[in-house]
Amino acid sequence: MATKINPAFSKELKKYGTVNMNACYNCGTCTAICSLSTNDESFPREMVRNSVLGLEDEIKSSLKPWECYYCGECTTNCPQEANPGELMMSLRRWLTAKYDWTGLSGLLYKSLPLTILAMAIVFVAVLFFADSVSYNLEQMLHFGHYFEIIAIGIMMVVIFLPNLLTMWYFTIVKTNTKVPFKYYFTALKDLFVNMFTQKRSKDCDEKNNFRWLEHLVLVLSYLSLLFTTVFLNWFATNNVFVIIFGYVVSLLIFMVTIHFVSDRVKKNKSLNKFSQPSDWFFVIWLLLMGITAFLVRLFIDIDLLESNKWMYIIHLTVLAQWAIIIVPFGKWTHFLYRSFGMYFAKLKSIKGTK
Amino acid sequence: MNKDKRIIDYDALVIGAGIAGGETALNLANNGYKVLLVEKDRSIGGKMILLSKVFPTLDCAACITTPKVSEIARHKNITIFTESEVTNITKNVENKFTAQITKKPRYVHVEDCTACQLCEKVCPVNVRDQYQFGLIGRKAAFIPFSIANPKAAAIDIENCTLCGACEKVCPTHCIDFTMETEYYELHAKTVIMATGFNLFDPLEMPRYGYNQYKNVITSMQMEREIAPTRPYNTILRPGDGKVPDKIAYVLCVGSRDKTVGNPICSQVCCMYSIKQAQLLMGALPMADVTIYYINIRSFGKGFEEFYQQAKGMGVNFIKGKIAKITEKENGNLILRYEDINEGVLKEAEHDMVVLSVGAKSNPTAKTIFDNGTLKFDQLNFIAQSDLMESPSKTNIDGVFVAGTASGPMDIPDSILSAGSASSEAISYLIQNELA
Repeated sequence: MATKINPAFSKELKKYGTVNMNACYNCGTCTAICSLSTNDESFPREMVRNSVLGLEDEIKSSLKPWECYYCGECTTNCPQEANPGELMMSLRRWLTAKYDWTGLSGLLYKSLPLTILAMAIVFVAVLFFADSVSYNLEQMLHFGHYFEIIAIGIMMVVIFLPNLLTMWYFTIVKTNTKVPFKYYFTALKDLFVNMFTQKRSKDCDEKNNFRWLEHLVLVLSYLSLLFTTVFLNWFATNNVFVIIFGYVVSLLIFMVTIHFVSDRVKKNKSLNKFSQPSDWFFVIWLLLMGITAFLVRLFIDIDLLESNKWMYIIHLTVLAQWAIIIVPFGKWTHFLYRSFGMYFAKLKSIKGTK
Repeated sequence: MNKDKRIIDYDALVIGAGIAGGETALNLANNGYKVLLVEKDRSIGGKMILLSKVFPTLDCAACITTPKVSEIARHKNITIFTESEVTNITKNVENKFTAQITKKPRYVHVEDCTACQLCEKVCPVNVRDQYQFGLIGRKAAFIPFSIANPKAAAIDIENCTLCGACEKVCPTHCIDFTMETEYYELHAKTVIMATGFNLFDPLEMPRYGYNQYKNVITSMQMEREIAPTRPYNTILRPGDGKVPDKIAYVLCVGSRDKTVGNPICSQVCCMYSIKQAQLLMGALPMADVTIYYINIRSFGKGFEEFYQQAKGMGVNFIKGKIAKITEKENGNLILRYEDINEGVLKEAEHDMVVLSVGAKSNPTAKTIFDNGTLKFDQLNFIAQSDLMESPSKTNIDGVFVAGTASGPMDIPDSILSAGSASSEAISYLIQNELA
């Protein structure tokens, strides 16, 4: 079957944040300078070429965008300043939108006003809820606790499961990769190792592991905070150890995200030069999560929360916006898709098929 | 200083005595005009005189340049100032330019020197020979290179220990340490800028490891290794003196690359690399030569045939730009690239790597005219005010540009450009004489 090229695709991708990708003259410097690119899995030039030609099916069936950690070497050394690193980032956003059956990811990526509107609606909903329980702190805390569990559960089943199945369909089924059933289990180790450690990003820069370490601390702190608030009920517990643990992890989240935000403001690395609204929302809301959770528990401990219920309402708003908008439809999904991307890549490599 | 300034008069001032400046001077002189040819180096002949052969004819570069250089040097209407720089030019009225020229001392009276080389033998100082691009050493009292013109000794005063050994041994007593810098004020009717280009410095791209890995050399160093007046009398890799048998060419080093501030094609690297590859195939019949390229630009007359000829001789052409080079313990080099035709990342081992460095503008051209009076383009080449109608004219009437001072070009184009500049200059001179 003849492949149709579609030059209009670059206009569509531009909405997801590509910068100057049509300047590419196919020298391959990006692929050869990349520390993560291998003889079997060569990128990003192939993806730049597919994007320029508008070969959507090729991109949809590829896992390469998820194997890129945006070290930035390709962009720094690109002789045409075609910004391959930013293209890979944009492809991840685009793929996220393609996997998402609701179509909301795409809308929110492409439109900042819509994102702000969605955030505002959630804020109003939280205010309505607080009003409906007459600002009763006990009830609000109780609801907030269950909201997290329920939101996570619903997002898992309603959004992530179908989306991951779509991703599996695009990358495994449609590419005619026959993977024996048992490999799905044997490769699970890769899924979890990548999910929790992002160890691959360590290869970005052999000399400096700080970015990887920071990222690792953030992921672990975030998951710990989730665990502490949901399962250990941090805001209601009397266990001193849990209380202190919660303080530590929320503070860690705050510290790392502050650093990430300041890097994005300074634009000191190529991966920070072109921040999209989705990137800003992600880091800022993570930062707000850390700081508001910390303050709520502090207010509880010094008996201020009863007289300062607004603090909890702010925290609940941040939490709801995070759980309903950013996690299922924003940059958080990259964490999930990337881990599954590695998992699927492992499955493919077991089979040795391309 | 001012009282020592000598005032001289010429019809034309030609700045730069490379192939373009030399050709311009010769054309003007043959038409009866008195020309002052100013060269900053110790010899005239520019870069071409140091080349091996020229593409696409494979003529010996020295065999073309040397007779021309002799003709220039012996011409009764041409005066040559070597080791001299034009520091300032002002235009007074049409046909009247005033130029300030500084002539550095050579510490040798050229007219008395017989180039016997006795001074070279006794000189105790060894430094890297810039005319062999650092491949071998030379003395501080030395003849620049065997086909230099003027062929006379010179003292490299920066490295000289003033031991006086050369002065004692010189049979004609032509070495004179009392020589001083001379200053001239020149009155000329027209000026031709033939200031040439600079080679890209690969130190700006540390990922290629130039100067760090000994077996990574520039194309100009390879040019010397295969020239008739070559330093080793064979082709060796500098690291350990082994005769290489797997040589790689990295094209577009410092050309078509925005990260080093040079987005344009240098126009000569594809062809000189293909030429060197062919010469290497002749010199080392068992060697593999591979050229890594983005696009082969063989646009000139006879160039495409020359490219096909190289392919026919067995030169390997691989589409893909080298991204980085690493060194193995035995001095061999690992080149990492994406094979564009296959879309696959690859690594190749070579025992010698040649960086085909590009052409950049010569920044000294910018300092000659007072601020902004002479226009330059964005890459600091001299701007041609009307590229289509008269490409030799600059924005100043009476100032013309010849050769690579206006942008990268090959030898045939440089000579054409020199022809154009000289005829434009002549018509300017005639018009203003009549007026």
